Amino acid sequence: MDDEQFAMLQTAVHDARRPLNRITMQAELIKLALEGAVPPDKALAALDKIIAGCQDCSESLSQIVDNFNPTNTGNNE
Amino acid sequence: MLTILLVDDDTEFTDVACTIIEFLGHEVLTAANLAEAKDWLSKESFDHILLDFMLPDGSGLHLLESLNSEQKQPRVTLITGHPSVKGIIKDMCGDNVDYLVKPIQREELESVLQPQKKSVPKKSTKQSVTRHFGQLIGESAPMQELYKLISRVSKTNANVMLLGESGVGKEVVAAAIHAAADCPGPYVATNCGAFSKELIGSELFGHEKGAFTGAIGRKAGVFEQAENGTLFLDEITEMPIDMQPNLLRVLENKVVIRVGGTKATPVNCRVVSASNRSMEELAESKVLREDIYFRLAVFPITIPPLRERKEDIPLLARYFIDQLNSENNSQFRWQSEQLEKLSAYDWPGNVRELRHFVHRAAIMSEPEGVDIELPKTIESPFAKKQTLSTGLKAGRTIEDVEKELIYATLEKVDGNKTTAAEMLGISTKTLYNRLHAYGDITTDNGQ
Repeated sequence: MDDEQFAMLQTAVHDARRPLNRITMQAELIKLALEGAVPPDKALAALDKIIAGCQDCSESLSQIVDNFNPTNTGNNE
Repeated sequence: MLTILLVDDDTEFTDVACTIIEFLGHEVLTAANLAEAKDWLSKESFDHILLDFMLPDGSGLHLLESLNSEQKQPRVTLITGHPSVKGIIKDMCGDNVDYLVKPIQREELESVLQPQKKSVPKKSTKQSVTRHFGQLIGESAPMQELYKLISRVSKTNANVMLLGESGVGKEVVAAAIHAAADCPGPYVATNCGAFSKELIGSELFGHEKGAFTGAIGRKAGVFEQAENGTLFLDEITEMPIDMQPNLLRVLENKVVIRVGGTKATPVNCRVVSASNRSMEELAESKVLREDIYFRLAVFPITIPPLRERKEDIPLLARYFIDQLNSENNSQFRWQSEQLEKLSAYDWPGNVRELRHFVHRAAIMSEPEGVDIELPKTIESPFAKKQTLSTGLKAGRTIEDVEKELIYATLEKVDGNKTTAAEMLGISTKTLYNRLHAYGDITTDNGQ
């Protein structure tokens, strides 16, 4: 892997970490809701956002695989 | 409560982070890019900025530059998705900048928003020092023996005489005996050396109104004040010998008659007295009447000098520095080699000298730092007196005294053997021969 490819990978991982960060924070919000510190409807919305975040993360990972697939010419070069 | 600016272009993250930060008790405003953040900074003043490293219109570091012109410098926490950026941020930015790595957890947010994070190591060092009977520090064998004696005597009403060199902590031991006894009355301390011959009677036994010029009212003496408690009479040997029969009468009859009075008032307290003379010196010097001695020293306790319990020196040094840290809000911590240096010294002024030394070192050290600055040598005017008195005691061999003199001279001239030999009036060769005989030549050959 050359420097350019490594930079691309770094950007892709950065993008994949973004939904992970959202998921973590939404999970923290649910913990607060369970402790009674925030209303329960916020917890429900947070769970929906976690599910969406997981899908975003999965798409980002698929994108990384696509980008670095040697048979997929044009994307990797 | 802090006022926080959260700068991140991920609105879902900023929304949920705001809820959590508000739950933590802070006020929070958000910006999605550098331009918005700069706009907020021109209007508001913030205590803390949570700043994403990568923003749509540039790096978060650009905001740091514009912060330098602000009057009130907020703390900054950079948020990064790359753990590797951590190190670079640390090098680039000063102590005022922290960092968080995504994904962020609530505890991490909480800890960066806490004003002081340094209290954890301070707490752990404090916990390691135990104060026996709420007063005494030391885990050495001589101290364990002392604790045993305190614990035994505290269960009785016996009068205690504390003997020990100056600075060993006689008053602290007296307070420990009082604490261990768990008696209903108070602990009253007085120094027999601090009063004139005329006033000591009034101090100990009290006086009636008009007993002498200036006695404008009735006053209770320390015996009455310490009713059902403990009376500590420090420097008992400084009490004028002609006052001692009065004290003996109180100790024997358990009643006091105030100066200028006639009525006998019953008293009930344990008397703990103290002297910095040894038992032999007490017997020889005749500063204390024999009958008084036997009344006061029903249970004599000799407190060991610090040089006989050197393993306690690091504990005491840690305790004193912790105390100074909490008084002055400083963060000083000992290095292990500094504690070794302290332990190597004899401390002729005992714990008092050590405490004074630690205090002086703390004053000399950089107040914002953690390092304690020790002077090159530990010296006290009492050190020389001590060496002289032990060095010339009868019963020691000439070889012993000679060895001590050689080492004392070497120490004085910082190990320079030529100068030491000159001072001792012997040849350098003789000095080397002596050191060889003491088994010390192997380290000297290398110099």
